[in-house]
Amino acid sequence: MTETTDRLESGDRVELRFPARGDLIVLARLVTSAISARAGFDIEELEDLRLAVGELCLLTLQGSDAQHGDLRLELNVLGDAIEVVCTLERAGIASTFEPEGVEVARLSEQILDALVDEHGRESRDGSVRAWLRKRRGGHAE
Amino acid sequence: MTLGREDDPGPPSDAAESDAPALDPAAREELITSNLGLAHQLARRFLHRGEPLDDLVQVASVALVKSVDRFDPSRGVDFAAFATRTIIGELKRHFRDKGWAVRASRRVQELYLELGHATGTLVQQLGRNPTVAELAEATDASEEAVIEAIEAGQGYRAASIDASESEDDPLSARLGERDGNYDSVEDRALLGPALAGLPEREQSILRMRFVEGLTQSEIAAAVGVSQMHVSRLLSSSLQKLREGIGQTEAGRR
Repeated sequence: MTETTDRLESGDRVELRFPARGDLIVLARLVTSAISARAGFDIEELEDLRLAVGELCLLTLQGSDAQHGDLRLELNVLGDAIEVVCTLERAGIASTFEPEGVEVARLSEQILDALVDEHGRESRDGSVRAWLRKRRGGHAE
Repeated sequence: MTLGREDDPGPPSDAAESDAPALDPAAREELITSNLGLAHQLARRFLHRGEPLDDLVQVASVALVKSVDRFDPSRGVDFAAFATRTIIGELKRHFRDKGWAVRASRRVQELYLELGHATGTLVQQLGRNPTVAELAEATDASEEAVIEAIEAGQGYRAASIDASESEDDPLSARLGERDGNYDSVEDRALLGPALAGLPEREQSILRMRFVEGLTQSEIAAAVGVSQMHVSRLLSSSLQKLREGIGQTEAGRR
């Protein structure tokens, strides 16, 4: 057996853009796996990041009319950390308020609290942006 | 909203835990019951790690009870947030205690091998190459896991091109992805200049083998030579390519 995976170094950046559909969030997770493996994250951290990025995408989609929008995912390797920024572009704000959407977003944020070091969400210039940062080697136990 | 929290700190270090005043039994029961849905939702988030949902729900439910017993409302922390952290911490500990990381990497390798067998069987049954969805169904894995196993399988491959040449390897034959050092997109990017230096017939045979995914026997029939001759030609062409790529890389340094 030989491991042929090439490492990503601090400063390396990967960007992915795809139609803002829930069934395509799998693409974000797959890219996250590949990037975190190459950035030296162990398998548990990798799974945490993958789960967290799924939540990040969900969070970005909440409250938006994402029918015609795109999700743009940026993954930045920063020293011993990965920063993931998810932006919803070209989508309007939802015309109807969905109370369950608030609950979904709150759960996603709570899950992110438990899985990553930092995260945040903001709306700017008509686009929603959510981000997270996770260091490797950060197991508390 | 930004919270600089540790990863998986576990209940002992959480701000909401203290010598929490005990709730009366009815209130405790109510808090547990009303949050079972949360435990269930969180358990489902961990399904892709290969454990049965029932086991995960059980771990999450026990963790929920723990968080109810440890929660101190006077700390001003939202219960759902505290419970989510506790439950995720316990779910992660569950995987860690079961040696999940070791099993997971083994599972990926096993799935990759399983996909090889499933591909061969499905090619025979369907008379065409299977889709990822069909492979997922045949191996009882998710489509995401199948894609990941195919991708991860590339990292666990014998290094020699010649040694991995096999007529009866279904993935090699059908997906054309286990043919050695030059099968990844990254590697192919280096191929262009080296390939151009080969005689036309050798370029053509390499293209049939590695781009079109034909077997050596199929190439032999197409070109009109023996399979052994195709094998020798491939070996010698690949050797030339290796040398050519070595020169390309050296030139970049």
